[in-house]
Amino acid sequence: MWVVYTLNGLYFAALLFLISLGLNIILGVMGILNLAHGSLYAIGAFIAAWIIIAIGMKVPPFFLYITLLSGFVLAGFVGFLMEKSLIRFMYKRTLEYQLLLTFGALMLLEDVIKMIWGGQAYYASAPFDLLGKVDIGGNIYPTYFLFVMIIALMAGLFIWLFMSKTKLGIMLRAISLDREMATGLGLDINRLSTFAFVLGSGLAGLAGALVVPTTPALLGFGHEPLILGFIVVVVGGLGSLKGALVGALLVGFTRSFGIAIFPEIELPLLFLIAGIILVVKPQGLFGR
Amino acid sequence: MFKNPRWILYLLILITLLFIPRFLSIHDLMLFEYGITFAIVGLGFNLLLGYTGLLSFGHGAYFAAGAYTVAMIGKYFPQAYSLEILIPAALFFSLVLSIIFGFVCVRHTKIFFSILALSLSMLLFALLFKLYHITGGSDGLRVPLPTLFGMSFKGIRRPEFLSGTYYYFLLIVFAISFIVMRGIVSSPFGKALQAIRDNEVRAELIGIRVRRYRLYAFCISGVFVGLGGALWTFVNGHVTADLSHWVFSGEIVYMTLLGGFGIFEGPIIGAIIFTYLKLYAMGNTQYWMFVIGATLIVLVMLLPNGVAGAVSSLWTKIIKKSD
Amino acid sequence: MGATAMTAGTLGTASKAIGQTKKPIPKDPIKIAAISFLTGAAAAPFGIPGYNTFAMCADVINKEGGILGRKIELLSKDEAGGVDAQVKLCRKLVLEDKVDVILGYISSASCQAVLPLADELGGLIIAYDCGTHELMEGAKSPYEVPKFKLGFRSKAHLGIDNIGLALVIKKYFPKIKTIAGINPDYAWGRESWQIFEVAMKKLMPQVEVVKTLWPPLGNTDYTAHISALMGAKPDIVHSSLWGGDAVTYTKQAMGMGFFKNIKMAYSRGEPYPQEVGKNFPQEQIICCAGTHYFLYPPHDKSPLNKWFVTEYQKRYGKYPTYPCYHAYQAIYAYKYAVEKAAKAVGGWPELDDIAKATVGLSFQTPSGTLTIREDHNAIEDVLVGFTKLTPKYPFPILDPKRLEVFPASQVNAPVGIKTVDWINSWK
Repeated sequence: MWVVYTLNGLYFAALLFLISLGLNIILGVMGILNLAHGSLYAIGAFIAAWIIIAIGMKVPPFFLYITLLSGFVLAGFVGFLMEKSLIRFMYKRTLEYQLLLTFGALMLLEDVIKMIWGGQAYYASAPFDLLGKVDIGGNIYPTYFLFVMIIALMAGLFIWLFMSKTKLGIMLRAISLDREMATGLGLDINRLSTFAFVLGSGLAGLAGALVVPTTPALLGFGHEPLILGFIVVVVGGLGSLKGALVGALLVGFTRSFGIAIFPEIELPLLFLIAGIILVVKPQGLFGR
Repeated sequence: MFKNPRWILYLLILITLLFIPRFLSIHDLMLFEYGITFAIVGLGFNLLLGYTGLLSFGHGAYFAAGAYTVAMIGKYFPQAYSLEILIPAALFFSLVLSIIFGFVCVRHTKIFFSILALSLSMLLFALLFKLYHITGGSDGLRVPLPTLFGMSFKGIRRPEFLSGTYYYFLLIVFAISFIVMRGIVSSPFGKALQAIRDNEVRAELIGIRVRRYRLYAFCISGVFVGLGGALWTFVNGHVTADLSHWVFSGEIVYMTLLGGFGIFEGPIIGAIIFTYLKLYAMGNTQYWMFVIGATLIVLVMLLPNGVAGAVSSLWTKIIKKSD
Repeated sequence: MGATAMTAGTLGTASKAIGQTKKPIPKDPIKIAAISFLTGAAAAPFGIPGYNTFAMCADVINKEGGILGRKIELLSKDEAGGVDAQVKLCRKLVLEDKVDVILGYISSASCQAVLPLADELGGLIIAYDCGTHELMEGAKSPYEVPKFKLGFRSKAHLGIDNIGLALVIKKYFPKIKTIAGINPDYAWGRESWQIFEVAMKKLMPQVEVVKTLWPPLGNTDYTAHISALMGAKPDIVHSSLWGGDAVTYTKQAMGMGFFKNIKMAYSRGEPYPQEVGKNFPQEQIICCAGTHYFLYPPHDKSPLNKWFVTEYQKRYGKYPTYPCYHAYQAIYAYKYAVEKAAKAVGGWPELDDIAKATVGLSFQTPSGTLTIREDHNAIEDVLVGFTKLTPKYPFPILDPKRLEVFPASQVNAPVGIKTVDWINSWK
C-alpha cells in the first residue's frame, strides 16, 4: 500500500502545487497576498463541472479533457476583472488595504458563485470514469490521478521555462526581485502586474477544474485549498516557485501518510510544521 | 486626561446607555450587547493596528482564548463558574497566549508579521477543531449562565439575564476598558507606539526599544480581545472553533476599519455598525456575504478612514467654514 | 429542574391547572418554521427532500382544514451556515418572529447547540432528523428526564442504527475478524462509532478494530482515507457519513477499487443507492434510520406508506427517503400534540400544555407506529438490508428476502438509562 500512499501524496502535491504556484506568482510580482485565491479555484471548478455536465457524453472524450481548461480560462478572466477594478487601486496603499480588499472580494465572489450556480453540488465524474484504473505493482490506482500529476508537471515545466527563457517571464522575475529598479528600467509595471495576476488566478482555476471529476463542486469549496495553499507558500517561501514545489510535496505527503498512519492529527500537524518552519526560518525554506 | 471636555460627552453617553434596556426589545438588546463586546475587542485591536501600525489577521486566537476559557471552566470546573473567577481567568489565558504568539510575531514586520499571526491563529483553530473530546471539536461548547458574586441565576432564562444584571455588568466593564485604553493611548507609552508606527528607524534611534514595545502592544491588545471574547460568550451561549479562524479575525479587522482606525472611538462605532450590518444582512438576504464584501470594498476604496474618520473630516470642514 | 413537572405528564390529559382560562382558538395561521439544508452538499440528498415533505404535509393538512381550523404557514429556513448561525437564527425565530414551533435540524451539531435554547428562550422545538444520543442523555445512569422541557425529538436516536448494524453483522457475518470505521469528526460521527463499537464488543468480542478515521464534516476528498482503509484490510467498514459526504465517499471509493474486497456498513445509508444510481455497489449493508424505506412496510400492508410514497413521487418525481419520513413524523407529532392538548384544556393550548401532550403521544406513520416517551425522545424499530440491483428499479434496492427488522425494545435503551450502559448490561 505504500505505493498507493506515495501516489496519493503526489496527487495532492500536484493540486497544491498549481494553487500555490498561482499564489506565489501574484505574491512575488505584486507583493499581494490574494485572500480570494480560493474563490478563483472554486470558479474554475464550477465552470468545468457545469460544462462537463452540459455536454456530457455528446462529444468525443478528448474534448471532455479540453473543457478542464475552461477552469483556467474563466478564473483567469475573473482575475483580470479583479485586477483591473480593485487591485490596481491598491498599489499605492498599504498592506492593510490590500488584504482587506481581497478579503472583501472573497466574500463577494462566494455569493456570486451562489447566485450563478445555486446551492447544490455538481458532480461531473465523466473524465474520471473514462480513464479507468491501472495496475501499479499489484495495486489498483485510478488513472485520472496520474493524469492530474502529469498536467501539474507540465504546468510547472511551462512556468519554469516561461520564467527563465522568455522575455516576459524575465521581466516578471525582475519586478518581483526589485520593483523600483524594474520601473526605473522602463518596464510597464501595470501591464505586467495584470498579466501576473491573470496567470496566477488561472492556475488556481485550473486546479479547481482538475479536481472536479472526483470531488463535487460546492459552496465553500475554496476554503480548504486556500488554507493549504497558504501553508505551502509559507513553508516553501513567499514568492518562490521552487518553494511552491517543495512545499506542495511536503504538505501532500504529510496529508497522505498522516491520514494513513496518524489519522487523528491531520490538520494540526500541518500547521505545527508550518509554525515551526516559520519560527526558525520565517522566510520559508526558499524564501528571500 | 480627565480635564478634557470630551469626558462630559462620554459621561452623557454612558448615562443614556443605562436606559437602553427600556427602549429595545430583548432581541435588539442582545444585538447591542454583541456590539459592546466587539467594541471592547476593537479598542484592544486598534492599539496594535491604529497606534502601532501592525496588522494582524490572527487576533481571533485571543478572542477564542478568552471564550474557551469560560466554556472550559464551565465544562470542567463548574463549581468555579462565576464571573469574578471567569473574567480574570480569561484575561490570564489570553495574556499567556498573546505573549507566546506575540513573541514569535513581533520579530517581523509587514507581511511576514500578518502571515505569522494568521498561521498561529489557524494552529489554534486546528487544535480546537480536532481535540473533539476536550473542546467539543467543530460542535463547540455550550456556555451556561454564570453566577456573579454569589448571585445565582438559576431559573432565569438567558434573555432575562442579559437584559437585566448582565447588561449593567457589561456596561461597567466596557466603561473601565474605555478609560484604561484611553489612559494607555495618552501615556508616554502610547506616544512611543505611534512613533514606532510612523518611523521605526527614528524611534529606535531616539532610544525606544521597538521590538519590546511592539510585544507590549501585542499583549495588551490580546488581553482586551480576550476580555471581549469572554464577555461575548454569555450573550452567544455557545463557542465554536471558528472563533480562531482567520475569517473571524478578518471581521475584527473589518470592523476596526469600518469605524476608522485613526480615531480612538472609531473601532467602537465600527463594532456597533458591523454587528447590525451583518445581522441585518443575514436576516434579509441569502446573499449577505455579497453585501458585506461589497460594503468592505466600497469602504476601502472610498472611506479609508472609516465612518468615524469621515465624520471627523466633515466636522473639521464645517468648523473651518464657519471661521 | 424540569423532571418533577414532566413526569406528571400522566396528569396532563385529565386535569386543568387551577386558574387557567379557556383560550379561544385563534383564526390566524400557525407559524411553523421548517429548518433544513437548502444549500450545500447535504441539500440534495437530505435537506430538500425533508423540506419538500414539510411542504407536502402542510399542504395536505391545510386542505383537510388545518390544525383545529387554523391554517399552517410554513417558513422555510436554511440550516447551512454553521452552528453559530443556527443559534442566532433560532433566537430570531423565537424572540422576533414569534413562531409557534420550530421543526428542524438534520445535523447533530445544530441540535446540540439549538435544543437547549428551547427552554432558554421559551420556544417549542421539535428536532426531526438529528441522531446524537447524547443530546437527551444525562451524564450518568440513571438520569433525570426530560432534559429539555420544550425540546423534543420526533424520532429515535442513532442507537437504533448502530445496534441494528451490529446485530445484522453478527447474524450474517459471524466469522469476520476485523472491522474499521470512517466517521465524520463531530458529535454524530463520534457517537455513532461509540455505540457501534460498544455493541460489537458485546456481541462479537473476538473482532478487532484495525482503523478509525475521522474526516471533518463536509470533507470532499476521501482519497487518502480510502487508501488508508484499504491498507488496513478490514472485513467490514462502519460509516455514519451522510449527505453529500456519503455520496462523494462512495463514488471515490468505487473509483479506487475499494469495494472489491471490503464491505461497507452505512448506519444511515438508505438514501444513497438512489443518489448514486445504478452503479452503487451491491451487497452493502444499509440501515434505514428506523424502518424508513419506500418499500417498507410493503404497500399492501401499509396503505399510509403507499399513499406517502405515491404522493411524494407525484409531486417531486423521486422516491421518498428517510429524511422525508422523519419530516412527516415531526409535523404530525406537532399536529396531534396540539389537538390532544386542546382537548385537555378546552381551548388553544399554551406551549407547556403542548409539551405535556407530546409525552406519551403515539401515532401511525408511513413506517409504522411512533411513540414519544417521557424523555422527549421517540422510539422506533430499525430496518437493515443488503443492496441488490433488480430490473424493476434504476438503482439498487434492499433485497426483499433479507430485510432484517428489529423491534424497538431490542434497540432502544430504557428511559433514564444511558445507551452505552444499557448495551454493556446485556447478557
